[in-house]
Formats: sequence, C-alpha cells, structure tokens
Amino acid sequence: MGEMRIVYLTGECVYLRPLVLADKDFAPAWHPGPFLIGAAQAENILKDEAADPGLRLALVRKETDEIVGSVKLRSNDGFRRCLVTFHLAPSMSDHDALRAEALRVIVPWLRDQMEVMVVSVEMAGDEAETIAAAEELGMVPSVRLREFVARAGCRVDSLTYQALNPRWEVKDA
Amino acid sequence: MRNPIMVGERVYLRPLEVADAEGLASIDAVETDTFMWRGPMPSSPLGHEKWIAKLYEHRPPKDIVFAVCLKEDDRFIGLVSVYAVDFVNRVGETGSFLGPAEVRDKGYGTEAKHLLLEYCFDRLHLHVLQSFVLETNTRSSAALAKQGYSLAGRTKWADIKNGRYVDGNAYDLKRDEWLAARDAWLRSRSGD
Repeated sequence: MGEMRIVYLTGECVYLRPLVLADKDFAPAWHPGPFLIGAAQAENILKDEAADPGLRLALVRKETDEIVGSVKLRSNDGFRRCLVTFHLAPSMSDHDALRAEALRVIVPWLRDQMEVMVVSVEMAGDEAETIAAAEELGMVPSVRLREFVARAGCRVDSLTYQALNPRWEVKDA
Repeated sequence: MRNPIMVGERVYLRPLEVADAEGLASIDAVETDTFMWRGPMPSSPLGHEKWIAKLYEHRPPKDIVFAVCLKEDDRFIGLVSVYAVDFVNRVGETGSFLGPAEVRDKGYGTEAKHLLLEYCFDRLHLHVLQSFVLETNTRSSAALAKQGYSLAGRTKWADIKNGRYVDGNAYDLKRDEWLAARDAWLRSRSGD
C-alpha cells in the first residue's frame, strides 16, 4: 500500500495515506475507541466515511508500512477552521512519539499550504512529546479542560492547542 | 406530565420525540433574539424529524437531548442536551436552548439546566462536562458561571458575528462545583 503514500504528508518515521477497503482487516489500528470492531463492520464504516465531509487518513510507519493509527480532519466551513484528532493503534507502545510526528507533518500542511485560518488539536496533558511538538510548531494553548481524560487509576487534563495562520490578519477581539 | 425523566418545580425533562419536530420549527420561525450565534435561522420540521430519529440510533447514545416542558400544561419550550457523551472518559458537552423569546428570563432555563446536570452527574455518573459559547454571547456565559462552570480557555476565530471573526469561550464543570452552584441557586429561590 506504500504507493498510496502522500508525498507531502511524509515525515521521518511515518506517513499518511488514504484509507482503502483492504484496511478493513486492520480496523483496530485506525478506528477510534476502545471497543472491538470486526472486518465486516469496518467495511461499512469505510464506505460511510467516504461520503463523510470529514477526512480520515491512515497513519503508517515508514519502515514497515504498518498502520499505526489514523488522523481525522474535520471542518464545517470549507477548511477555514479545522479540528484534527488522532487515534493510535492499541498495540503500539510509542503513541506519544507517533502522534508528535504526525502533528509535525499535518499542521504545516494545513496552515501553510491549505490556508486554514486556525488548526485546532486536542491532546492529553500527559502527552509530553505531542505538547513539545505543538509548541515547536508555534501552536498556542487555548483550552484546558480539567480531568477530562481517563487514564488507568487517574485522570489528566485535556489541552487544545491552536495553530493560527499569520496570513489571516484578523484583529483580536 | 408525559414520560418525565427529571422533574423540577415548574419544568420537567422528557425524551425528545419525532412529534416535537414541528414545535422546534415553530420556535425557530418566531425567533427574535440574536445573541446566541450569528442570527436566527429558519428550520424545517422534516429536518428536525430526521435529526431526532437519528438520536436514538446509537446505544449507548452519543447525544442525549431532552425536551423541556412546563409542568402546568405540558407545553414544550425547548431543549437541554449533553452531546458527544464519552462513556469511557465519562465526559460530555452540554447545551441548552429555550424559546420563543417570551419563555426566557423566567428561570425555566436555569431549572431545566440543573435537572440536566443532575442527570449527567448523578445518573450517567459523568466526571466532567464542558460547554462552549461565543464570546459575544455574554448572556449564556453568565448563565454558565451561575451554574458553576469555570472558564477553561478561548478558541480563536470560532465564528463570525457582527462582521468579524470572534473567539469562543470554553467552560468546564465538575460535580462538586455544580452541587455548590445548585445549593446557591436553591437558597436564592427560597430567599435565604
């Protein structure tokens, strides 16, 4: 499936590509949530999502071409504003590093090439590599929802970081 | 009362029904306030019917929407809701809407919202709730503060209002904060 690799969404260790019907066999890797999903249900979801205005892309490890997660892009105003959410495959142990690299690939594309005014990304407060990547990219923290994310035996805050497109000269409120 | 789930002194909450679609479109048709979002928007009962039917497709539901009704005559006066309910993280996003304008400023909204919050915290056992309003919607911001919500941040360029992009205010609420706010509201009602 490496031929589907999106050249401008390729990082050092991961790349993004469209989801295809054959990915139904690896649904836990790209479908969000902790609940089980079988191939038949995954096929329906892939077909339904193809008609969805949002876009989900597979996050793939370059070295192995294995799907390690997915990235969902949502916009309800023609990509003036975009919300990015990540799902990481439950079998992976390097979630934070994978998400951080995906962020480094996605945000510059949306902000600098797609002319998105504001890119919003939600992350958990304990995802240190992702937060560092967001700050390296010039993203600014905008919202902190207290104890919004459940972890084993504890809760952590949910953070929203936003990448503001400097080419949009909108005065502060 | 018809199918009450949560019952207050003057209002009660019941499941929203497809039969409420016409009532929702009627409320939209006579909307005169513009403080909530960009401005009033007409709607079709057919669209509401589809949306309401969809609410019941998922089990457990993603979005839970109550019809707010007056106890005295069962009149349907709006909605209170918890959206994007996440039963793993035990969180959700609340929203409310009462109409037409003549039913606002009578305390029905506050009463309905406390019933919704009781449902969220004490029946669904959610841990934290969030809510979101445009910065220009000072009326809803003030209502959220009275219900115990805290400002959690601002999202840039959230929507357009009055010819420019405006920010959005995000709020969050935990159960103990809601209980304190509800106690204060009950005391104020009893004149203590």
